[in-house]
Amino acid sequence: MGKIHRIKRQVLREAVAENVDTIRGLPPRAARPLYRIGRIWLQRAPLLLIPLALAGSTYLTRSESSPAATPPRPLVLAPKPVMAAAMAPDPLVPMNASVFPLSVHRVVIDAGHGGTDPGASSASQLTEKAVTLDIATRLRDILRRNGFDVVVTRGADRLIALRDRAAIANSSNGDIFVSIHVNSLATGRESHGIETYYLGATNDPTLTRLVAAENRGSGYSVADLRKLLDGIYADVRRDESHRLAAAVQQQLFNGLRSADPGVKDWGVKRAPFVVLVATGMPAVLAEVGCLSNDREAAMLGRPEYRQQIAQALFHGIHAYASAGDAPKKGSGNG
Amino acid sequence: MADQLLHVGIDLGTSRSAISASNGERFVVESFVGWPADMVAKKVLKRDVLIGHEAVANRTMLDLHRPLERGLLKEGSEKDVEAVRELLRHLLRLVGVSSNGKIDTKNVRAVVGVPAAALRTNKQYLRNSMKGIVDSLMIVSEPFAVAYGLNALLHTMVVDIGAGTTDFCVMKGRYPTEEDQRTLTIAGDSIDAHLLKLIQERYPQANVTIFMVREWKEKNSFVGEAPEHCVVTAPVKGVPTDLDITNEIKAACETILPPVIETMLDLLSKVEPEFQDRVRNNVILSGGGGLTRGLAEALEKALDQVGGGKVTYMADPVFIGSDGGLALALDAPEGDWEKLSA
Repeated sequence: MGKIHRIKRQVLREAVAENVDTIRGLPPRAARPLYRIGRIWLQRAPLLLIPLALAGSTYLTRSESSPAATPPRPLVLAPKPVMAAAMAPDPLVPMNASVFPLSVHRVVIDAGHGGTDPGASSASQLTEKAVTLDIATRLRDILRRNGFDVVVTRGADRLIALRDRAAIANSSNGDIFVSIHVNSLATGRESHGIETYYLGATNDPTLTRLVAAENRGSGYSVADLRKLLDGIYADVRRDESHRLAAAVQQQLFNGLRSADPGVKDWGVKRAPFVVLVATGMPAVLAEVGCLSNDREAAMLGRPEYRQQIAQALFHGIHAYASAGDAPKKGSGNG
Repeated sequence: MADQLLHVGIDLGTSRSAISASNGERFVVESFVGWPADMVAKKVLKRDVLIGHEAVANRTMLDLHRPLERGLLKEGSEKDVEAVRELLRHLLRLVGVSSNGKIDTKNVRAVVGVPAAALRTNKQYLRNSMKGIVDSLMIVSEPFAVAYGLNALLHTMVVDIGAGTTDFCVMKGRYPTEEDQRTLTIAGDSIDAHLLKLIQERYPQANVTIFMVREWKEKNSFVGEAPEHCVVTAPVKGVPTDLDITNEIKAACETILPPVIETMLDLLSKVEPEFQDRVRNNVILSGGGGLTRGLAEALEKALDQVGGGKVTYMADPVFIGSDGGLALALDAPEGDWEKLSA
């Protein structure tokens, strides 16, 4: 039965993709051989990194071995210099993600919290789940108008487990993942700012508390998390996530500063949020405001300001997608 | 109740259309839509539009349309587009959906199965024609919906004999491509036309219409050895008269055998050699034409030429497509429906 379920999922995905293509006015996939090649490259690019990473780590292990620990080698004829040069491994250099000119086609948007989990609340009872869903919906519409394919992890006021959010992102073959949240500070209610996270460890106790709160009820066991963390195969995803986080943060801050001159740029940070750990694509979590600040909570209650946040997020995604060799998508107008 | 979400599978057929809904309701209607031909007809019928059996019964007063006749939606024909929309709205009303009913149209997610030829040739036009009727819409080929509903997605061939078309589809564990499918316009309608001609030749005095012929065929169709004599009643010079049409039914039904067998064997020959045996033993016969007695055996006999095989006839062909569509609708993740707004 497992096999038939796998096949059903696969054909269902293909049926949906075929319909989405029709909506967009694209010709049938069978008539677009380049599409297949493109998807195969996108799907296999991470696999290509594995042997490269393994080759790199093997070299690293060898070069770090102490001469004393090396067993005596049998006497062999030295190879000709030209051969030696050809066979010598190159010095280990960090992988540059730009060698894979991958474009961003499908964006997965994750509206934080939902259903019985309201997230943070303002004094006026404005909830994080309502704000994030509204911004996510607005962002979805802007992205679609600009030619992006969009998958949302929740389109209604429903509780979706964190692991299910990651599963939706992974099964939909998203190219990037953007999770939208709103901060709430236990102390310093007068301060408010914007920050964007990508995956990484943190020693900051405040951040540790925030991560613990957001990861609560993720459905992952310690063993699962260990496997997930072990599975983060390459620095490329982290670097790409960092690049995406930087683009999003910059556009958010620039876009919102005009509406709220007091807003602080709290920058790009690293933290092990589950949705960032378990997603298999460049992923960021944006804290787009602060509900604990009464003034900002009032602004978040206004549709125009939420639209402005969605626009800023779009500009961040667009800036990331347009950078380097990545093909430009859309005009950038929301 | 206003927020109740409803998933539906719809088989938009050339002859009959069926709907299966997640609230357990299932209905089938004839794919005919008619508008009163003039003011007098409108006054008599007291309706703006008639659908299904009612439309057929009152056809003399109607501008009658069968929107997917011959498996295609005629582009440029506004009446045919409107007929598709009326048919869909009617099916949805039957399962409790309407703009002011207990289930709002904006809460409906529909998978609509259409003849494979229609999907290949006017996919975009079909989608535009169905715009705005439900919240989210996925259109698939009918044989694919059948295969999905039966979990027959690997090493299987579906032969779906409808009224306007006979669709063939080999399932290879993927969404079927052009090369996996074939369509013949030799199907129920062509049998009806042939049967009418044969009856008129034998009983030139009899007054027989295509609608009478269709009804006789649906009750008595067979190929091979006659299971019983087929005697029907029709007016001859105004007098109801019994007519034996056994030989005519056999001859008309058997006209589809050569092209169906040829296409089935040709499609089989295109399957990778190592899987041909498995596909030969998993041929599924669906659609109204599948009810033809002796047809499965005739196809199995033809498969003997290439090593033998098994043809399974589906006992409930009426809802097999719409049930498959409903299964697709229920299985599609939330995120996918977001992308399929209609």
